[in-house]
Amino acid sequence: MADTQTASARGPADAGPGGPRAAKRKGLSERTLAKVFVSPSILLMALVALFPVIWAVVISLYAYSRRQQVGFGGLDNYITALTDGRFWDAVWFTFVFTVTSVTFEFLIGMGFALIMNQAFRGRGVTRAAILIPWVIPTVIAAQMWFFMFNVTPGFINNLLGLGNFNWLGQPGWPIFAVVFADVWKTAPFVALLLLAGLQTIPGDVYESARVDNASMFQRFFYITLPLLKPAILVALLFRTVDALRVYDLPAVMTGGAFGTESLAILVREFVVRTPNPGYGAALSTLTFILVLGIGMIFVTLLGRDLVIGTEEER
Amino acid sequence: MKTRRKLSTCATLAGGFALLAVACTPGGGDEAADGEGGGEMVWALGGSEAQPGGVHQSVAELWSEQNPDNPIRIEILPEAADEQREQQALDLQAEAGGFDVLGVDVIWTGEYSENGWLESLEDIRGDIEAVSLPGAFESATWGGELWAAPYNSNAGFLYYRTDLVDTPPTTWEEMCQMGAELGEQEGIAGFIGQGAQYEGFVVNWLEYYWSAGGELYNEDQSEVLFDVDLATQATEFMVEAMDTCFAPGFNTAAEEEARNEFQAGNAVFMRNWPYAYGLIQEDSESPIQNDFDIAPLPTFTGQGTISALGGFNNAVSAFSNNTEAAKEFVLWAATDPEVQAMLATEGSVPPTLASVYDELSDDPVMGLLGEVLPDAKPRPPAPQWNEISVTMQRALYPAYNGQSDPRSAAEEVRTYLDGTIE
Amino acid sequence: MSGTTPAPVEAVSKRRERAKNGGQGVVERRSQLQIWGKSALLAIILLWCLFPFFWLIMTSFKKGDLALNSPNLFQGPFGFQNYEAVFSLNFHLNLRNSFIVAGTTTVICIIVGSLAGYAIARLPMKRKVLLLSGILAVSLFPPVALVPPLYELWLRLGLLNTWEGLYIPYTAFTLPLTIFILVTFYASIPKDLEEAARVDGATPFQAFYRVILPLAAPGVFAAAIIIFVQAWNEFLLANTFAPRNPEIAQTVPVAIAAFTGAVPFQRPIGTITAACVIVTIPMIIVALVFQKRIVAGLTAGSVKG
Repeated sequence: MADTQTASARGPADAGPGGPRAAKRKGLSERTLAKVFVSPSILLMALVALFPVIWAVVISLYAYSRRQQVGFGGLDNYITALTDGRFWDAVWFTFVFTVTSVTFEFLIGMGFALIMNQAFRGRGVTRAAILIPWVIPTVIAAQMWFFMFNVTPGFINNLLGLGNFNWLGQPGWPIFAVVFADVWKTAPFVALLLLAGLQTIPGDVYESARVDNASMFQRFFYITLPLLKPAILVALLFRTVDALRVYDLPAVMTGGAFGTESLAILVREFVVRTPNPGYGAALSTLTFILVLGIGMIFVTLLGRDLVIGTEEER
Repeated sequence: MKTRRKLSTCATLAGGFALLAVACTPGGGDEAADGEGGGEMVWALGGSEAQPGGVHQSVAELWSEQNPDNPIRIEILPEAADEQREQQALDLQAEAGGFDVLGVDVIWTGEYSENGWLESLEDIRGDIEAVSLPGAFESATWGGELWAAPYNSNAGFLYYRTDLVDTPPTTWEEMCQMGAELGEQEGIAGFIGQGAQYEGFVVNWLEYYWSAGGELYNEDQSEVLFDVDLATQATEFMVEAMDTCFAPGFNTAAEEEARNEFQAGNAVFMRNWPYAYGLIQEDSESPIQNDFDIAPLPTFTGQGTISALGGFNNAVSAFSNNTEAAKEFVLWAATDPEVQAMLATEGSVPPTLASVYDELSDDPVMGLLGEVLPDAKPRPPAPQWNEISVTMQRALYPAYNGQSDPRSAAEEVRTYLDGTIE
Repeated sequence: MSGTTPAPVEAVSKRRERAKNGGQGVVERRSQLQIWGKSALLAIILLWCLFPFFWLIMTSFKKGDLALNSPNLFQGPFGFQNYEAVFSLNFHLNLRNSFIVAGTTTVICIIVGSLAGYAIARLPMKRKVLLLSGILAVSLFPPVALVPPLYELWLRLGLLNTWEGLYIPYTAFTLPLTIFILVTFYASIPKDLEEAARVDGATPFQAFYRVILPLAAPGVFAAAIIIFVQAWNEFLLANTFAPRNPEIAQTVPVAIAAFTGAVPFQRPIGTITAACVIVTIPMIIVALVFQKRIVAGLTAGSVKG
């Protein structure tokens, strides 16, 4: 590593920021070092992910009749999508689903993280138990919740004595079922990130707070939450972008009926089920733009946090 | 403490690098290279009977015995038709040539031929047409040309409880009334079919619509014959039935949900494919094991019977390297009496060779199939069938659930169908 | 605070205890109500998380259509044949494939992602936010639309039905999440610790190894377990690139989705739940091992600078 070389070249007598020449050398090599460190990641991601994305965007500009290309359409596919009620219905459902599920996942995940952080008898088992919903493959979880919510054989109905309540077959309730299944499955993911974040908060901060007679709530809101902010942002960011792309749960539980057709289901419809490569690619690009836009909000918040944070340290 | 941490770190690192080393060894070859040059053919087929021990495997073995120069093996695809189509499409779209013979669902013929994925079978048409069921044969043609060889078929049955019903009903209204009355008496549902928002729902709805006298297109798909009035009648029947005789789980049920409800004794009537018959009869846990029977589906007019045609055909991939042998295989599978009889007796898979039904008329399922199949209507195997089906689902599903008006839904379908002709 | 004044040694160890537990600590005296309340809360959480899993286990032992589709959890008859069926389908090979693919993805991701994460968090670079956005964007495009071109490319490269055909794209698509997590954790380590270690005569590499790495460990292990689980459960790409042939590269979720029943249309819920139970057990073990490392927390000697 270049850093080691420069440090040893300077020698122990030169420890600490030396003259301007030493500083410049250190600065240059650090920048190059940064580029060197980052390049394998960039390379890998560009090779695998970039070319198909470009392909898809290019395809979206062509007109298709089913699978056959019939000409250059320009932005026609996009206009068709944006003026289609079905597209906006999917956006609406995806949006509602994301906001509700991420909110509950965050709240429950935070609760789980705080508990997992505690020391008590059986904490190992509890932590493992909390992670179980998340490790079950999504395809199985989706089928399981379909089975449970479906009015035949009516597992949940039987358990709660609800008779023939049609969870998945009447308006309004399928969204609840899908959100419920998603929260059950993914709150542990949020909990895991927040737990790791909690671990980075040094104990003496709480010590001094306690010395100052801060209550539990005050400690939580004024110490824990602010120090946890980066981890919270990362968790929210990735849960949000994943929720915006939800596919398995609504597809298996309702097939998109009763207003539960998500953007991903719509995209898959036109890429696989009733293929129109141009339109499917246009839908994908629109989804991508939407998700990226929302993700950017989190990134700017997070980036500002990190960049400002590191600058403040100086 | 320190040594332990050092040890565990070392162990983790060692494990990680070992993993990397192992994983660099390719797990295996390139499957797409199969079928090239060699005599072995690949048959892309899915479902339970394609598994080892299933009847299609027996068929493949029989061929391989008789044709040691050109044996055939099955590349097992998933159970669900949609997934089979996806996996076949990946290979065909990329022109990889990994499959020689394709198990093609009856509704994919037009789509596959339009994409240039299939070899035309016009030169062996005569032999096949002469001996196959007309409906099944029709489902293998598109644009007047034969693109696949019929292989097996399927039709819908009305299952009913013999302990509750003496004579099966001949009209839908009659069935619904009987179902509601008897259901109330026994504390169970009247009728269950396939009502979830998927292809199976379109099949069920078409059975109502067709049995009211409706049509989709004319003979060669040049004219739309969709009748909005009859469509509205069919849909309104469903709307009312949702309140009277349809089971509570009707609108989320696929084949399996329906079978499980009926098999558990929770419905008086069921619409399902023949596969359920054997399952219920062999289930000693089922309360209705010996108390059920099958009958032709009712109609609105009370005359005759109509059911949707299912099943799949064998097609030859346009990218195969073994076209001649593949053509011989599909011809043999469609017309050889031994093979077709084997489908029925070993696998309970309805064959497409008409003569088999005469031979096996004693078996209840075969007998009923023989009665019903001549009148079974195929869904038009148009290239845009998927689009049509999805449009029908999206229009009619909310309509029968009371979310939209049946007449406007029917008109929406008509408008879409008109658009497919232009 | 407690009423007693413990001796100085005890005070230090008690503070370490509290520090180890992230400061939330163990209170010496609790009221009965608090204990009951916490136990109840714990019970609810365990029930919430484990009840569906309990359903999975019960269903996997059931025999016959009636039992499998019954709303009653305890309706028999019961037997092992679902598990027998699963193993007769070479499921152990699927486990092997999944383990290798997910493991390799994790190792590569952590190594490559750590470098990038450290660079972004610590080293000077222009336009970091732009870079982070670009990295994020990579993982956002709907994968289903990327499948057709990737399939053809993989076909030409001969990467279909291979392990590397899977872990290469997995790594590429999981790097964004990895980098974000690691950047967060590297950034949260106070810079003075590094400086202090160097002042004490440590080389930069020693500083990284002795000071940074242990502190970033919770983040690294959290990232590792997330990568592993995500790679393990990934379905779309695995289904496209290695849809069949467990003896070569078919992974667990694809295999489970491809289970067929004894007859057409049948969704074999018995074998599916049995496979799920078989799969969850190693995952729980992995989770248990990793969670310990996440909560290993601040080890003695590294906090006080």
